[in-house]
Amino acid sequence: MKKQTSRSALQTKGGDHISPPKIVILGVGNLLLSDEGVGVHVANKLMEMDLPKGISVVEGGTDGFRLLNIITEADRLIVIDAVKGGLTPGSIYRFNLEDVKNCPTGFKTSVHQIGILEVIHMSGLIGKTPRTTVIGIEPQSLEMGMELSPEIKGKVPRIIELVLNELNVTSDK
Amino acid sequence: MAKKITIDPMTRIEGHLKIDVEIEDGKVKNAWSSGTMARGFEAMLIGKDPRDASYVTSRFCGVCYSVHQTASARALDDAFGANVPWGGDLIRNLVMGAEYIYDHLIHFYQLSALDYIDIMAVANYKGKDKDLLAVKDKIVGLVRAGDTFPLTPRYKPDEFSVNDPEIVTMAVKHYIDALKMNAKARNMGAVWGGRTPHYQNIVVGGVTSLPDINQVARFRTMLDEQKKFVEEVYIPDVLLFGTGPLWKLAELGVGGGHYNYLAYGDFPRDERGRDLVFPSGVIIGLDPANLKVQSVDKDKIVESVKYAWYKENKPVHPYNGEQIFDLDKKDAYSFVKAPRYDGTPMEVGPLARMLVSKNPTILDLVKKGAKPGAVARHAARAVETKLVIDACYGWLDQLMTEMTKPGFKIHDTKHWDPPESGMGSGFHEAPRGALGHWVKIKNKKIENYQAVVPSTWNASPRCENGNRGQYEESLIGVPVPDPDNPINVVRVIRSFDPCLACAIHLIDPRTNEIKKFLIE
Repeated sequence: MKKQTSRSALQTKGGDHISPPKIVILGVGNLLLSDEGVGVHVANKLMEMDLPKGISVVEGGTDGFRLLNIITEADRLIVIDAVKGGLTPGSIYRFNLEDVKNCPTGFKTSVHQIGILEVIHMSGLIGKTPRTTVIGIEPQSLEMGMELSPEIKGKVPRIIELVLNELNVTSDK
Repeated sequence: MAKKITIDPMTRIEGHLKIDVEIEDGKVKNAWSSGTMARGFEAMLIGKDPRDASYVTSRFCGVCYSVHQTASARALDDAFGANVPWGGDLIRNLVMGAEYIYDHLIHFYQLSALDYIDIMAVANYKGKDKDLLAVKDKIVGLVRAGDTFPLTPRYKPDEFSVNDPEIVTMAVKHYIDALKMNAKARNMGAVWGGRTPHYQNIVVGGVTSLPDINQVARFRTMLDEQKKFVEEVYIPDVLLFGTGPLWKLAELGVGGGHYNYLAYGDFPRDERGRDLVFPSGVIIGLDPANLKVQSVDKDKIVESVKYAWYKENKPVHPYNGEQIFDLDKKDAYSFVKAPRYDGTPMEVGPLARMLVSKNPTILDLVKKGAKPGAVARHAARAVETKLVIDACYGWLDQLMTEMTKPGFKIHDTKHWDPPESGMGSGFHEAPRGALGHWVKIKNKKIENYQAVVPSTWNASPRCENGNRGQYEESLIGVPVPDPDNPINVVRVIRSFDPCLACAIHLIDPRTNEIKKFLIE
């Protein structure tokens, strides 16, 4: 495995940051409902990889509030989650927090009513809201089970690639 | 003629819940509580290595992961014949103690407080306090920007809503402070659990990693900060609201219900387990003047499926429970089963615990005229948060002593392998109430598994003899002068801190907008 060389995501101009910005990759979802857990599966894969210093990978389960500490400590946040956009299973979406927070019909993200996007938004009340990008995957199956469906499992390497592209990080693993 | 209204979904709770109420003469005459989401994760445990259960059940819910992990590990301890060493129990207690702090704080401030204040009163704050002026600026700024989430949407404030600008502005400041405290408290469980959420350390036989002095010190520092907030902000706020502006709601006893209470008991202060922070007991038909607490006989627990979408069956003990759905069943209206103790519906949770333990603060409030109901539930939650924090200090001290003993142990390694066959039950007082897990083992694999969770007790539908569940009963007689603004109904339901999640959480934007973000 080659050592990571591209560090542009960590470079800063001027003197804004005394310490490098903290980048968090957050995979969320329910591990017991097959493709609903895609974010968890991707996070677990990323944890096995040799990522540059300053990037943490967190597997966050299903409750937004539980992640408030992680969210408020991040400068840049990449969320990986199953997203129901109504397109073909396996479709990949990418949007920033500000793209969706003012959607006219509002956002109903989770059974918890206060979902991951709301909590990220709420983090602004107690400090800063990290610059947030969501990589979403349209699920194939939400049946009970701890494995991904073959369709979505096949997408995992591509999802990882997209996440790393966000951070200008390449990996050959 | 009664008017029927439906609240679906109930918001600011955990999970999907639908409440139907029939209103006549400005009061609730009848009520139905429906869990509208199928669960039944237990089915996937059948055939698995029993040791996996504590890990898998921790994924039942993103909110209550550690409580399932604990109850599950205890059921396995029982089935395996494992004796958890005191060191292991102490660490389990500390993990769960941390859980109480953030669960209860978030419930009061983030999930409930907005039911009791008219947030817009902040704009009228005329005082000179710098911090409160900053809160005013922030809220007024959000309103101007048309971006008031998470403070809205809300029900219209009513006669019970607090609208004094000083009190409301202070409450909103505490809402924000509580959010900060919550972010910090998240790290407490991780000191022992290795990570958060979904701890790694609780397994059959005890815990997995030996503690060191630094962990004890870190936890103590974080505990100090939470204790200060609970003592100086949370408890005073609850008392200020409960005995002040909300006293009328308390006196009316809005949200009382059956007045039956059940606590399994939990959190030993000493190695022998004789001195429990939360004693176990049952109260049937509470009479505050003559408080009688009976001992709990867990064999008297059954679950009825008469009005639930499960295959018809007589009420059975959880050891024999099954999860076979029948969506066409006549009269069924919920995915929540109906647990009963000796055939009787029960309330579980903080109020049950504080009444069963005859807590002097709560009994004093009752003596002064507060009938057990929604307001008393908030008070009980605050009081017990402090009890758990105090107990945490005792556990930390004992852990320090244990750690220095030769042969200090945190795990019963002799009982790590599953028995050929066996059965066991595990109980835990989760923040939301009495939780039980039951496991049967055959050929070293799980033969059957059942969890009866706190919200199943509280949110249950009717049972064989037609008795309402506790949510349903607690809504009877609740004032709803304006059917378009059933704010008292949501106050009552939220006072129980419902958690019916245990399932899907995916991002479902309910808008076609999301399609434009397709990248491949």
